Amino acid sequence: MNILLIEDEPELATYVTRYLELNGHRVEHAARGDSGYRLALQHSYDLLIVDRMLPGMDGISLVSRLRGEKRNLPVLFLSNLGGLDERVEGLNAGGDDYLPKPFAPTELLARVNALLRRPQGTHEPTVLRVGDLELNLIKRAAVRGQKEIPLLPRELSLLEYMMRRPEQVITRTMFLEGVWEYNFDPRTNIVETHISRLRSKIGADLIQTVRGSGYMIRAPKPAL
Amino acid sequence: MRPSQLFRSASFRIAAAYVGLFTVSVSILAGLIYLNSTSALQSEIHMRIGAESAALKEEFGQGGIARLLQAVADRQRGRLVGGLDYTVLNAQGTHIFGDLPSTKCTPGWQVFTGPPDGDEPLGQMERLSVRVTPLGGGYCLLVADDIGKVDTFGTLILNSFGLVFLFTLLLAVAGGLFLSSRVLRRIEAINRTAEAIIEGDMSQRIARRHAPDDLDRLAATLNRMLDRMTGLMETLRHVSNDIAHDLRTPLGRLRQMLEEANRTASSPDEFRQVVTGAIEEVDNILTTFGAILRIAQIESGSRRSGFCKVSISSVVADVCETFAPLIEDSGKTLRADIEPELWIQGDRELLVQSAVNLLENAVAHTPAGTEITVRLRRSGDTVTFEVEDNGGGVPDGTTDQIFKRFYRVEQSRTASGNGLGLSIVAAVADLHAARVSATNVYPGLKIDMVFAQPA
Repeated sequence: MNILLIEDEPELATYVTRYLELNGHRVEHAARGDSGYRLALQHSYDLLIVDRMLPGMDGISLVSRLRGEKRNLPVLFLSNLGGLDERVEGLNAGGDDYLPKPFAPTELLARVNALLRRPQGTHEPTVLRVGDLELNLIKRAAVRGQKEIPLLPRELSLLEYMMRRPEQVITRTMFLEGVWEYNFDPRTNIVETHISRLRSKIGADLIQTVRGSGYMIRAPKPAL
Repeated sequence: MRPSQLFRSASFRIAAAYVGLFTVSVSILAGLIYLNSTSALQSEIHMRIGAESAALKEEFGQGGIARLLQAVADRQRGRLVGGLDYTVLNAQGTHIFGDLPSTKCTPGWQVFTGPPDGDEPLGQMERLSVRVTPLGGGYCLLVADDIGKVDTFGTLILNSFGLVFLFTLLLAVAGGLFLSSRVLRRIEAINRTAEAIIEGDMSQRIARRHAPDDLDRLAATLNRMLDRMTGLMETLRHVSNDIAHDLRTPLGRLRQMLEEANRTASSPDEFRQVVTGAIEEVDNILTTFGAILRIAQIESGSRRSGFCKVSISSVVADVCETFAPLIEDSGKTLRADIEPELWIQGDRELLVQSAVNLLENAVAHTPAGTEITVRLRRSGDTVTFEVEDNGGGVPDGTTDQIFKRFYRVEQSRTASGNGLGLSIVAAVADLHAARVSATNVYPGLKIDMVFAQPA
């Protein structure tokens, strides 16, 4: 996938470029806001990674102007500010996700992949399926095989969040933001606890732990 | 104090303006009195002359020229200084009686100037107001009075006012100088205190007086402001000291760890192990930094503009639901007693974080088997959110300190946490104008936040 990285810190840019390329993406880099904006208009990219504070043009106005030009590619904001309101500002300006610096490279990769694989269509499924697990979004009921699995509301939304992103790495902070709407980092491992509860209910084979990154829901490979 | 400063001072200018105003009003008063009295005097003189002329004309009418001459001679004989002058002329304009200069006999008023007779101001001619009355047979009657005395009287009035005016001016200028120098001295004292504070002596305060007045109230307000600023600076210094201390410790540990690895580690695996530990340490430092920044942001109060109606019941219920499995897994129990449908004005995200921090605090610092009770209830027009445990509590006398930044109860220093969780709770409570307090409940600790409920 083609990614445009607009970031003025050379070391971070090199680091991110190398890491994303290592994971199969093509990355172009612009060190200034204005040059990045021109690049984004001239070429078609699959994803934009934009720093908030840039020389030439700041990230927020860059993205607002791109949106004004009807460019609908997904945008991931990077920010040093990491404060309370910056996240909301970034998302309001047309960003799709927001990652405060410093971040773990695995976190960045997981979010990049999530944004790239986000369904473009507006078609809203009523039933999600992973392997033989079925989640009916209208009845709010999970069925595996023929057996209905009783789940608590929080477990249901956790499962829904994962089943909407099958075979994607989902990090702890993505869970916290997506399921709990916590934009801060609790010191206790609530994600781990809830995932292990869910696992014990729907079966341990569906949810995999990705070491050092997060979790992934995937149909188990058929036993040979 | 320099004289130029004195003249430039506000109080001196006010005094000067008042003196100016006073001068103008005294001048107007003097003018009015002068004009009124002189014109009254003048008309009185005219009336007297007019009455005399009429009376003498009557005498002439009754007894002819002889009776007239008899009458004026009688009057002239009894004349005192300041009395009227009489003169009778015949048809040829020759004097039959008196010594006023002869004139054309047209009826009406005339003014004569003559040699001084002693009652006029020095160097001025005698001025006479003359009534000319033609009589039958070509005779002409002149009755006159000295109008110099009107002028003398006017001058007297003006002179008295001039004296009064001079005296007042002196008094006003002296008073103005005196008052403004007093005020200036006090302002100068405030100034000196401010200069000393600028120089770095924050303990300086403006001296107060016993009698409270405007300046004294100003001094009191300034002193209170200085107290507040000193308090804030003190807090800031504490915080930076704490930050320095609390970040030095993990940074020192990190350095030691890396140095040790540099010296002794021999295999990539050993290095990797150390690097993993180092990353963890760095993450902790970053979390602490984040928390400090967050507290500063909450304390700045900017989030208050985004306040809206928040269901505190659902916030607390959600957090309890999230933490229930975790608490259960750590061998403790959670009891939630939440009154539904309670609403407050606030920031949902920050309220969630406070609830999370309070529960995490209860989980982290209590032994297994502890029962944690969460209560949310309304009493009157307040909503109380309470987290209580029956763990060990905190040492007596430290219940207020646990909300301070980086404070950790000694025995739990080793437990995880950066000592900022409850500081965030306190900052959020402060932002919501809520009262937060901790009490030892033997055994255990109870922390409650009391919110005012909107009407």
